[in-house]
Amino acid sequence: MIPWFTYSRPNSLKDAVKQLSVPGTRLHAGGTDLLGCLRDGVVAADKLVSISHLAELRGITRTGNGSVRIGALTTLTEIAEHPYIMEHYAALSEGASSAASPQLRNQGTIGGNISQRPRCWYFRGDFHCLRKGGEACYAVAGENQFHCIVGGQSCFIVHPSDTAPALIALEARVRITGPQGTRTLPLESFFVGPQKDFTRENVLDAGDILTEILLPAPAANHRSSYRKVRARGAWDFALAGVALSVRFSNGIVQLARIVLSGVAPVPWRVREAEKIVTGKEIDDETASQAAAACVKDAVPLAKNEYKLHLVRGVVEEALLAMKQA
Amino acid sequence: MRTDSVNYMGESPPETQGQAGTLTPWEETTVVGKPLPRVDAYERVSGSAVYTQDIVLPGMLYGAILRCPHAHAKVKHVDTGKAAKMPGVHGIITDSTPGANIPWYHGAKGAMSRLFDPHCRHEGEEVAAVAAESPHQAWDAAKAITVEYERLPFVTDIEDAMNSGAPPVHEGGNRDGDSSVYQRGDTAKGFAEADVVLEETYRTSFEIHTPMETHASVAQWDGNRLTVWDSTQGVFAVQSSLAESLGLPLSSVRVACHYMGGGFGSKLDLSKHTVIAALLARMAARPVKVTLTREESFLCVGNRPANIIKLKAGVKKDGTLTALELTNLGSGGAYPASSSVGYLVRDLYLCPNVHVDETNVFINAGTARAMRAPGFPQCAWALEQTMDALAEKIGVDPVEFRVNIIPTVSQVRNNMPFTSTGLKRCLLEGAKAFRWKEARERPRQDGPIRRGVGVAAGMWGWEGETVSTAIVKLFADGSVNLNIGASDIGTGTKTVMAMVVAEELGVPLEKIQIEYADTGTTSYAPGSGGSQTVVANAPAVRKGAVEVRNQLLELAADELKRPVGELVLKDGAIQTTAEPIKKVPISDLQILQRRQMIVGVGYRDRGPEGKVALPFVAQFAEVEVNIRTGETKVVRFLAAHDSGRALNSLTFENQVFGGIAMGIGFATTEQRILDSRQTGKMVNANWHDYKIPTAMDVPVDQTCISIDPHDKECNNTGAKGLGEPATIPAAAAIANAVYHATGVRLKQAPITPMQMLSLLAQQQEGGNR
Ligand SMILES: Cc1cc2nc3c(=O)[nH]c(=O)nc-3n(C[C@H](O)[C@H](O)[C@H](O)COP(=O)(O)OP(=O)(O)OC[C@H]3O[C@@H](n4cnc5c(N)ncnc54)[C@H](O)[C@@H]3O)c2cc1C
Repeated sequence: MIPWFTYSRPNSLKDAVKQLSVPGTRLHAGGTDLLGCLRDGVVAADKLVSISHLAELRGITRTGNGSVRIGALTTLTEIAEHPYIMEHYAALSEGASSAASPQLRNQGTIGGNISQRPRCWYFRGDFHCLRKGGEACYAVAGENQFHCIVGGQSCFIVHPSDTAPALIALEARVRITGPQGTRTLPLESFFVGPQKDFTRENVLDAGDILTEILLPAPAANHRSSYRKVRARGAWDFALAGVALSVRFSNGIVQLARIVLSGVAPVPWRVREAEKIVTGKEIDDETASQAAAACVKDAVPLAKNEYKLHLVRGVVEEALLAMKQA
Repeated sequence: MRTDSVNYMGESPPETQGQAGTLTPWEETTVVGKPLPRVDAYERVSGSAVYTQDIVLPGMLYGAILRCPHAHAKVKHVDTGKAAKMPGVHGIITDSTPGANIPWYHGAKGAMSRLFDPHCRHEGEEVAAVAAESPHQAWDAAKAITVEYERLPFVTDIEDAMNSGAPPVHEGGNRDGDSSVYQRGDTAKGFAEADVVLEETYRTSFEIHTPMETHASVAQWDGNRLTVWDSTQGVFAVQSSLAESLGLPLSSVRVACHYMGGGFGSKLDLSKHTVIAALLARMAARPVKVTLTREESFLCVGNRPANIIKLKAGVKKDGTLTALELTNLGSGGAYPASSSVGYLVRDLYLCPNVHVDETNVFINAGTARAMRAPGFPQCAWALEQTMDALAEKIGVDPVEFRVNIIPTVSQVRNNMPFTSTGLKRCLLEGAKAFRWKEARERPRQDGPIRRGVGVAAGMWGWEGETVSTAIVKLFADGSVNLNIGASDIGTGTKTVMAMVVAEELGVPLEKIQIEYADTGTTSYAPGSGGSQTVVANAPAVRKGAVEVRNQLLELAADELKRPVGELVLKDGAIQTTAEPIKKVPISDLQILQRRQMIVGVGYRDRGPEGKVALPFVAQFAEVEVNIRTGETKVVRFLAAHDSGRALNSLTFENQVFGGIAMGIGFATTEQRILDSRQTGKMVNANWHDYKIPTAMDVPVDQTCISIDPHDKECNNTGAKGLGEPATIPAAAAIANAVYHATGVRLKQAPITPMQMLSLLAQQQEGGNR
């Protein structure tokens, strides 16, 4: 049962920030993640502040120089089906369309997708785990088939978002407005791993609102993709996935970004793999080398060694598909 | 508590006398067999259908059940003081409440637990319950009850539970009685005669039924009489157990179930929450509704046992089976519940020497309940993969191999003949329609995507309870009321039964009102399960309808002064077959206008004398395996079913497609996961982490073929059961297809990408294909 809370729907960003600065308050966007967390007792809230009346946080707009601004309240469906995004930022539309289910995508927002809480079943379930203020991470000795193989420390979640790896590959920046004003940062620096702080997944502090996502203007000869592997055909998070963003020149890779989902507590960028493919044609060998580099530093837990094979397989497949595209 | 339903203990059930008593299946039909949509499709789709969960009675309270959060614990102290004072609370019951001390879970030596037993043997066992004005108040109060637990060591792994040092779930250890042994012939001799002997261990996972509508009951007292609306497959089974639990005569307990959102076996008998609703309602003197949450439904209302099945099989080069030996270690959970799987090994194929040894072990987890073909998909998983492997070893096509070892008698029933067996036709006609040969002989690709096809066969082994009574009433205007005790659990029972009436009386379906599944107003029928709903009820319905027709014709003969033999009932009118031709609408019959109603009662008579009627199936799957990522996609599926006559080809097909989807879940996604090494608690007790297949996991290319052997002996409709066979071989067919595609044998269900990748990696290391 969802516990009691009060609800407010401010009409200005300023007011929303003010209300959200009060302890015990939580931001409500589409609610698809938040309400589940409340119902399951994962988080508590005295008051929810809905940002749904902030019209300036909605929609996809193109600026004069061709870059794109996506309001935090834009739904995953709107992003998945937007012709310009589909054409120039395929990784993002593929990421958005591979998330959750049609109903959830109609209701869930991109801001919420990036800021959603982890799906670790110990965190979500009736277990007093480290991230919820308990003593230990149950995944270490427990059922850790879906947990991370890299970047874990004290806590072994994977970041659940399918859009975040795509956005990082596409060099997205995010704008945040909070009590201290507005700041813009690369999405890559938005996420916080457990080494730094196992109680949070990102830099958002009390009163902070993610207002928009900024994508650089599409470059010539650029292609991107997101490939996700899951245990069930829909309504399932990634066992592992890969977002690719590659700029070619005469078939040679000029610039590559390779970001993994399902392997680490944050979307996991693999610079070494990027280096391997840069300056070369993508062929079986480079794909296989890059794929191997993606798991070089991985240390699997007792039940997720399969992810080593999986990551290699999916990266190889995605790179070769990109070459063929 | 008694959970078995009424049976006649070997005595003859009542029989319909006269012509209706000796009906043989129709030669030709006008309604039966057609692909007609559900008679209640509009109500179900529009949302106007009232399910148990939708029922709201004046003054009704809501119940919530506090459950043990530990895998194994003793309740030391329960304090309800704070909860009792909370707003809206009207009643709290615990183990110490007078009248709540109701024995539960019966073993060989009597009851092994009670309603709120302080010894909680699995996560989710009931500790206390609250009734309050709103669901929120009830849950808040339940949470405000403080319970002191003494946590006990637990065991949730089947093999661990067999170890001598394992924490005992019950005093006296974890074995649920002695192993059960079946023996026929001499297996040692059989294996010695074999040219090929294979032995392998197969494992399956615990599955949860997860019906769309979670379990729910609404209880209302009127003096000493109790009415319960229950989301159940069997109102009579619930009535008898509930009456016994509460010490009431059957006449004081009425149980009804109208629209019902699935059960798959988990709603065949009485559940604790139903008794709790009744006790709370009595205490509060108000009606009480208890609806289980999805999480509760994962923990406390049943599951399909997991099994570790060792199967040894011997075959001669000419394809004759010489011996089958199956050892099963399974668990029905914390209390006695069958985890037996051995049936198929004993009866599906001709084999003179068979040995089956089955052990059930207690673990600290929820108690099993029958789940769609209990034991059969597990056995098919082992047997049908073994058959595939044997066929390969002796170099025979797996379809052909099976075709040559099909029995016409039931070997477990002292070779009692089957009334019919269409298994050979299922295999051959199925293979043809599937283009099996072509797909099978397609050269193996070497790329990352591998395609393969597999086949598996099956049968259902329970002839059921052939006891039921149907009452058919003809109103003066020619419309009809049909009264049956069966639940329509979503399979189309109402539709099919109405079609049987329409066939005999020529009434359009819209003019048939159906009264069903209510112990207060309908006649007895066994629970809707075990592929018995059509088989137990349709013959009785047909007899009832024929009874009405006969009476009507006799009355008409009197009135029209013509011999009965010259009258027929057609299109709502009595017609003469001899000159002068006359046609009198039913509503014009004077005698009917006077009597206003004709009542026909149809009894289902005994099963066929000296024979047994069982359904058979062969299913074919095509899969695509991505060997880079371990993803397995079922891309094509064909099911060929001998379930006798298909009474409605649309609901028939629906049933098969649903069974395939469940088979795909068994094969690829579904498994209960317990935190065995730390807490023993279930980590995936929700619909997101416990993965039932979605529309994306089911192939678009699905075909259902009905193979009708025109069985004249099974019963007067020619129909055999379908619900269980639809899901029995599906998973095994998929596993065989994966083997064909990759050369990897899937010993463990489900075939997740996790398992597939590990096996493919082993295959690469071993270099064997
Ligand atoms: C069953 C299920 C399956 C799912 N499967 C997938 C999947 O496969 N892949 C995937 O990527 N996602 C998946 N999701 C997650 C889903 O995409 C997210 O729930 C959704 O995108 C969240 O958006 P929302 O607007 O509903 O967020 P909310 O639920 O409103 O918020 C989520 C969190 O983000 C915070 N938040 C939201 N917006 C902002 C903002 N603008 N600024 C600061 N903080 C904010 C909220 O305070 C809250 O903590 C699944 C969810 C469910 C329930």
